[in-house]
Amino acid sequence: MGKRQWLSTALAAVLAVTMVGCSNGAGGGNTPENTPAAVTGEGSAQQEPVTFTYYSFSTGKDVMASDTVIGKELQKQTGVDWKMEFLVGDVKTKSGVMIASGDYPDVIVPEGEIDKLMDAGAFIELDELIEEHGPNIKRVYGPYMDKFRQADGKIYHLPFSANIGYIGDPNISQGAFWIQRSVLKEFGYPKIKTLDEYFDLIKKYKEKYPQVDGKDIIGFVTFAGVADNFFTLTNPAMHLAGYPNDGDVIVDMQTHEAKVYQAGEYEKRWVQKLNEINAEGLFDPESFVMNKDQYLAKLTSGRVLGYFNYGWQVGDATNNLKMAGIDEKRYAPLPIVFDETIKDQYIDPPAFVNNRGIGISVKAKDPVRIIQYFDNLLKEENQILVQWGIKGETYSVDENGRFYLDDDQKTKRDDPEFKRTFGFQYFEYSWPRYGNNSLLADGNAYAVGNQPEVASAGYTEGDKKILEAYGAQTFSGYFSKPDNRPWYPAWSINKGQGTPEQMFGQKASDLQKKYLPRLILAKPGEFESIWNEYTGEFGKLDAKGYEEFVTKIVKDRAAGNW
Amino acid sequence: MERTIINPAPVTAKKPARRGGGLQPFFRKLLQQRMLVLMSVPFLLWLFLFKYVPLWGWTIAFQKYRPAKAFNDQEWVGWANFKFLFQDETFYQVLRNTLVMSSIKLVLGFVTAITLAILLNELRNIVFKRVVQTISYLPHFISWVVAASIISTALAPEGIVNILLMKLNLIDQPVLWLGKGEYFWGILGASEVWKDVGWNTIVYLAAITTIDPSQYEAAEIDGASRFQRILHITLPGLKPVIIILLIMNLGHILEAGFEPQYLLGNGMTVDYSDNLDIFVLKYGMDMGNYSLATAAGMFKTVVSFVFLLSANTIAKRMGESRLF
Amino acid sequence: MSDLSASRKRYNSWSDKIFDICNIIFLCMLVVVTLYPFINMFALSFNNANDSIRGGIYLWPREWTWENYKYIFNESSIYHATLISALRTIVGTVISVFCTAMLAYTVSRQEFVLRKFVTIAFVFTMYFSGGLIPGYLLIRELDLINSFWVYIFPGIIGVFNMIVVRSFIEGLPEGIMESAKIDGAGEFMTFIRIVLPLTVPALATISLFVAVGQWNSWFDVFLYNSSRIELSTLQYELMKILSTSNTAANSMSAADQFAAGQSGASMVTPTSIRATMTIIASLPIIMVYPFLQKYFVKGMTVGGVKG
Repeated sequence: MGKRQWLSTALAAVLAVTMVGCSNGAGGGNTPENTPAAVTGEGSAQQEPVTFTYYSFSTGKDVMASDTVIGKELQKQTGVDWKMEFLVGDVKTKSGVMIASGDYPDVIVPEGEIDKLMDAGAFIELDELIEEHGPNIKRVYGPYMDKFRQADGKIYHLPFSANIGYIGDPNISQGAFWIQRSVLKEFGYPKIKTLDEYFDLIKKYKEKYPQVDGKDIIGFVTFAGVADNFFTLTNPAMHLAGYPNDGDVIVDMQTHEAKVYQAGEYEKRWVQKLNEINAEGLFDPESFVMNKDQYLAKLTSGRVLGYFNYGWQVGDATNNLKMAGIDEKRYAPLPIVFDETIKDQYIDPPAFVNNRGIGISVKAKDPVRIIQYFDNLLKEENQILVQWGIKGETYSVDENGRFYLDDDQKTKRDDPEFKRTFGFQYFEYSWPRYGNNSLLADGNAYAVGNQPEVASAGYTEGDKKILEAYGAQTFSGYFSKPDNRPWYPAWSINKGQGTPEQMFGQKASDLQKKYLPRLILAKPGEFESIWNEYTGEFGKLDAKGYEEFVTKIVKDRAAGNW
Repeated sequence: MERTIINPAPVTAKKPARRGGGLQPFFRKLLQQRMLVLMSVPFLLWLFLFKYVPLWGWTIAFQKYRPAKAFNDQEWVGWANFKFLFQDETFYQVLRNTLVMSSIKLVLGFVTAITLAILLNELRNIVFKRVVQTISYLPHFISWVVAASIISTALAPEGIVNILLMKLNLIDQPVLWLGKGEYFWGILGASEVWKDVGWNTIVYLAAITTIDPSQYEAAEIDGASRFQRILHITLPGLKPVIIILLIMNLGHILEAGFEPQYLLGNGMTVDYSDNLDIFVLKYGMDMGNYSLATAAGMFKTVVSFVFLLSANTIAKRMGESRLF
Repeated sequence: MSDLSASRKRYNSWSDKIFDICNIIFLCMLVVVTLYPFINMFALSFNNANDSIRGGIYLWPREWTWENYKYIFNESSIYHATLISALRTIVGTVISVFCTAMLAYTVSRQEFVLRKFVTIAFVFTMYFSGGLIPGYLLIRELDLINSFWVYIFPGIIGVFNMIVVRSFIEGLPEGIMESAKIDGAGEFMTFIRIVLPLTVPALATISLFVAVGQWNSWFDVFLYNSSRIELSTLQYELMKILSTSNTAANSMSAADQFAAGQSGASMVTPTSIRATMTIIASLPIIMVYPFLQKYFVKGMTVGGVKG
């Protein structure tokens, strides 16, 4: 049996090589510049229908690309269809057996398993293919190419964040301190900037209204009961000190030195503040034991005055509150920092995430057809297709050429089922693409959510009141603009498998999980001694080595060597 | 056919034939018992293929294993993975937690399942008996994710448990049950019983059906009370099954699972809730370190064998039924 | 019959009554706590998913809806998957129970020369495993990937089940098998004609164990057959639906952090889907259960196996 398999694999390989050879020969005559025409022109000779396999290590519903409107259109252009499969079950198990057996699909979106798959040699190098068949790939990725070459200087995957131009997200989908709108309203929309002001306001409100619907008001809650989400308790230390989300380090703007902030001055200040408000009865101790359902139930109960989280973590709760339509029970994001003098940096700077993307596997039947498909996909009109859809059907254009969604189109956009059947769900993200913050050639935003017209059309009366009070057009308008950080984000730095750096990360976060709850719930008098115990334990870990490791890569990146 | 030849002295003839007589009699016997051989040896081959062949994977424990590489290209590291395991200070803590949680589960699981089987057996209304039995096994079909969510809702500061205890004046303010390490083992043990007691009862119920009803009748005529009948008929009738299951489960002493611990545990209880499987998950699978996971698996196997063989020997010494 | 009524009379003593009452009260309490999770799942599955986010659903839905069920039953793949699940449950259970019982019979024969060897060889395998990847590579070498038989072959013998049946056979009165042999029946016929009928309670028990295992398993589908939709099972399809219903919000992978903010209001949530699939997946088991149950829930008042 083994022999037969081996034989058939070999045969397939030989066939593939011959086919590549042939198509190389056939396609060789085309100069890259006239590819748009050429690709369609080649149709008759080379475009007989073919189906490739696409595997993504993120979750989703399996589909044949041609069953979606977008997939069908792209098939019309290229003759290529995709059997798209998504992860079900444990990601590590899947990648382990995929690598061990070498049974790769044609195209892989490796997500967090990218290191393992790269290490295993699962991808083919793309340099030559891009050179020969990828004029659009070069146009989009050209400026970034050096940022995603592997150690051997070759390109093996195409990331998803190659921005062309820049437009920020009008809403806060990232981290912020959130406050219930009734608190802001009660005190006449005061300008609050520091952590002390934030908690003072909450305290004042709670003193005035200790109960709601017969239940005690909860001052502040965090989401630290589920192991994977503990970072929502630890990350604020970094944000409060005026840094964007760089993971477990903060990076100095001048020296580019990376520093672990765990068990440091910032974390102490943050945790001690929580200890203080806990003593005043403002902190919900259930923060450390709740699961996600319980947490979301609390946020939608109207009892919680404040919380810190990333917008994408509490989407279900914010949607629920929005649909309930009681504006005062909804929350508004605030750019809170430690001191008046600190500039907030909650909004992500333009980032290039080089450790995510899509690659062609070594088992791919016809890499040339695939790279041509990628290239075709990156044409501006197809990029509009995958983001905005079809004019008049899924988006509208006003007399100034600005894209917007009318009510009907907006409803459709919000319907997950429509997003699937139309194909947005399958094509808007995990393919070669422009970065989310890109601008189209005509000045419209690339991502629908980033188009100011779309964002402001979705604002309620309550939203407008807050924006007016803080003098901004959009919610991100009253947050500081992000400074340019050429290394950003540091969390995408590859720590490798089973390295001392990875071990440090695990040990350090274990310590955080164990000590932070104790510190916060301790009597204020005991805080110092527990803190000393914590830092003593932390001191046993090699934070220095880790910082040196990250600093080196940050400096490299800042110097342009990604 | 050939049976008649062997049967007259099945017990006395057996031992000398195997021990003393060398190979010749053994093969003769094998030939005589060819039907039994035919009925079992194919499964031995199956066993060898599916269970013993994959044991080559244990070599991974001595490598710095990379799944993509061929066997010959792997880097050999000797006992390094075992050293990492045994030198890590948290290892002994998770080992302790594993042993304690398994022991609780073992004792509690046995006692409750046997008790429930007996209580059901004492019911006279057959419909009620069936209904109770059916319902009691339902929680087995609920995933731990769901079960943990129900448990943590019940144990929340405003959950049913706190409300009840407050009403009964047993506590004067809500307790954060899942936030105290010292309660964790008890909560976990109770949760496991709740989830699986009905399921675990099934095998004892089946065993009870084999008890000869005339024994009960005789006991009644002798005027034995309810408890005496349970003590002298039902329990002795269950004894062989209980002992066999006990021996088997003792071998699983390090297999406490990780789902409930992972789902119910949190930062405040890690010192009590993290067990061996979670440790392996964190430092093994999550880091793509199959070698460490394999080394831990081998360690568990060694411990299992020690427990299994000791339990079996003790059962043998005491003249009880045993596993092998 | 007369024996039975005699025992009935005996039950009516004072202490017996108290025992009965306490027993019934206790078992009623047990019913309450063990039934609750199902009632809770039922309520959640019929409650509007968006409303369930607010919590507080315990015994009864607050905002009735069929949406959660519609969401799952709209998934056309689950019908064929249910068929495969039923098929693997039936085929897998019949084969495994028969083989396990047969093997158990051989190792219950005291005079069988390989008895100890076979028993030990099997028992040991309960306590080790070569690991995930060697197991996968074996299945691959055997060409069982993308095949129905991968659901059946690796699980033909359950060692635990074998031991259960063995101890049952050993508990049978010795004379029965002896008499069969005197009648001239071979080992195989003794097994079929005498042992199988007499061990029905044990067989029913292990059938339940195997069937539930087969019905609930999805890991082998995930590992070996995930790219062959026509071999997918109900549990696996339900797992898929569940993982699709996890919005970007639920994952913290870096890519999602960037993709986020685009996910619209979802009509289903993982919580409500999980509740619905718990109900859907366990209903068949609950419905089949009474047919098996009658073989092992018997008591002295009805009479057991007459020896």
